[in-house]
Amino acid sequence: MTERALVSRTTMEVVTALATAAIGAAVMWGSIEHDIGWGDSGPAAGYFPFRIGVLIVLGSFVNLAVALWRRGTQDVFLTAEQAKRVLAFGLPILAFVVLSLFLGLYVGAILYLSAVMVFQGGYRLLPSLTLGVAVAVAMRLIFPMWFKVPLLTGPLEAWLGLY
Amino acid sequence: MENVGSLFHGFAVALTWYHVALMLVGVLLGILVGVLPGLGAPNGVTILMPLTFTMDPVSAIILLTSMYWGALFGGSTTSILFNIPGEPSSVATTFDGHPMAKQGLAVEALSFAFLSAGFGALVGVAVITVLSGWVTEFALKFSSPEYFAVYFLAFASFVGLAGGNPVKTVVSILLGFAFATVGMDTVSGSLRLTFGFDELLRGISFLIVVIGLFGIGELLLTMEEGLKFEGVKAKVNLSGVLRTLTRLPRYWIALIRGSLVGVWMGITPGGPTAASFMSYGLAKRFSRRRGNFGKGEPEGVIAPETADHGAGTAAMLPMLALGIPGSATAAVMLGGLMIWGLNPGPMLFLERPDFVWGLIASMYLGNVVAVVLVLATVPLFAAILRIPFAIIGPLIVVVCFIGAWTVGASKPDLWLALIFGLVGYVFKKLDYPVAPLVLALVIGDKAEDAFRQSMLMSQGSLTIFFSNPLVGTITVLAILLLAWPLFSMLFGRVRAGRAEKMRLAE
Repeated sequence: MTERALVSRTTMEVVTALATAAIGAAVMWGSIEHDIGWGDSGPAAGYFPFRIGVLIVLGSFVNLAVALWRRGTQDVFLTAEQAKRVLAFGLPILAFVVLSLFLGLYVGAILYLSAVMVFQGGYRLLPSLTLGVAVAVAMRLIFPMWFKVPLLTGPLEAWLGLY
Repeated sequence: MENVGSLFHGFAVALTWYHVALMLVGVLLGILVGVLPGLGAPNGVTILMPLTFTMDPVSAIILLTSMYWGALFGGSTTSILFNIPGEPSSVATTFDGHPMAKQGLAVEALSFAFLSAGFGALVGVAVITVLSGWVTEFALKFSSPEYFAVYFLAFASFVGLAGGNPVKTVVSILLGFAFATVGMDTVSGSLRLTFGFDELLRGISFLIVVIGLFGIGELLLTMEEGLKFEGVKAKVNLSGVLRTLTRLPRYWIALIRGSLVGVWMGITPGGPTAASFMSYGLAKRFSRRRGNFGKGEPEGVIAPETADHGAGTAAMLPMLALGIPGSATAAVMLGGLMIWGLNPGPMLFLERPDFVWGLIASMYLGNVVAVVLVLATVPLFAAILRIPFAIIGPLIVVVCFIGAWTVGASKPDLWLALIFGLVGYVFKKLDYPVAPLVLALVIGDKAEDAFRQSMLMSQGSLTIFFSNPLVGTITVLAILLLAWPLFSMLFGRVRAGRAEKMRLAE
């Protein structure tokens, strides 16, 4: 192996199996709030999901057992280099979602696109902003104007009197 | 011959200027999403879907299916020129397509890929045309137990045939079913699995899940590999295409075998990806030129491409006639059908023949249009891939989240898309298949209804799934498929053990 593992495959398999098991348990727990047996109109609301939940937990335990059984293997889930690349791409997406929730998708897209171009693409500010604004204009033309599907707007649009 | 008459009627529906224009737009958008990494056929169709909610269903399905064909073609362009599959189903095309391009045979490789793909697609549509009447008749005999058994068979074939880790496939399917039960229960009206969150009352939209799993997840994976798009330049000229066309009949065995594999995998939900790998594997094993595979053998391009497109088109048959999608993209379209107020299943053929036959006729036309368009636009789309990823990557992200917003104009959906993006990334790295999850999510409600109806009919006894020859056969087949990985594992052990003994004896 040339690159050092940041996260081993076994660790991730175990974490994922535990996570799916937790979802299965949550499904079972949520189903118990309803009748999981036989109601007036046949199987009650919780009947089907409860059994699905049980099966998810069982399947997850099999995956967990297999992962632990093979824990001797040296498979890598993520190297440090890969983690850096994923975070460099993923964290701006997170910022874009948070920004969009407060400022709307138009402003969010302009800020996100131009910031990535400037800081990761090495472009100058002006062309980056121009492209961002061009995309926002295109979004406005295509979605609310042409297809009559409004996009999420924020305080800026309200201030400008656009909706 | 009733089908032929219906088909002509369908052509009358499909051959209007408006519908042909939609086909062109759909195919071009499809090639674009097929070429761009992170934007595949399921995801592209999903993002376009909310814009079709106000359209007439026939126009909407023509637009969306044309996008599907375009995406299947576009995926092969990047496979051959850049050695980067634009679609999971065109991975097998890279094995011989890219070596051919590097040897200066890019035009031949592209022409072989598109022409044989068009052939596979047309075989798929022809099979649909011939079989649909028969499948519909057959399906009209179905009641709830048969429907549940067929759903069961569809998922069992994922476990038994798709070749992934069987337990992980099962967990993936079950998670899809669990997510499908969130929200209002259609039978009792009670609110299930919302855990007190008002945001979950509407349930989890399959469109959001697809955008996350297939869009954001795929992009994260692409970025992690730190891809550089360094492609082979190709100028497609008419004489090169025609020369390839005259050489194509020589590969008739690969064409027919690929089509058969594709149609089979499309109808039984194996999907285009599994079909293309299976077809490549078969061609490699049985070809006379097997030694040349992987080094730029045309047959290694023809085999996966024919199967890929055969499966893509054939997947529409079970979707329309039974309400069971044969691929992730078909699953998205099935969900769309229900949103448009259509009820997929045999009754659709009786109630809305204009819709069904208009769609089938458009599939003939759309695939021919797609072959021509994709050949004509290779330089254009290759140029798009040369745009730096610092621009194109974030643009794809923005498009994905716009798509997530237009589904239901709800803020939590944006978070949900992000979360499923992360899930998609982890699941793909750990070999949890995500297509079955989407299928289960789309048909979850219908499967649960069928199950509850069956249980009601039998007063809670599972023997109803064996109560007549039809449902019994389907159920037994499904159980066999489900158990298949177990058999093959045990059989493999025995054989390995025997081989070990032989070795020791020597």
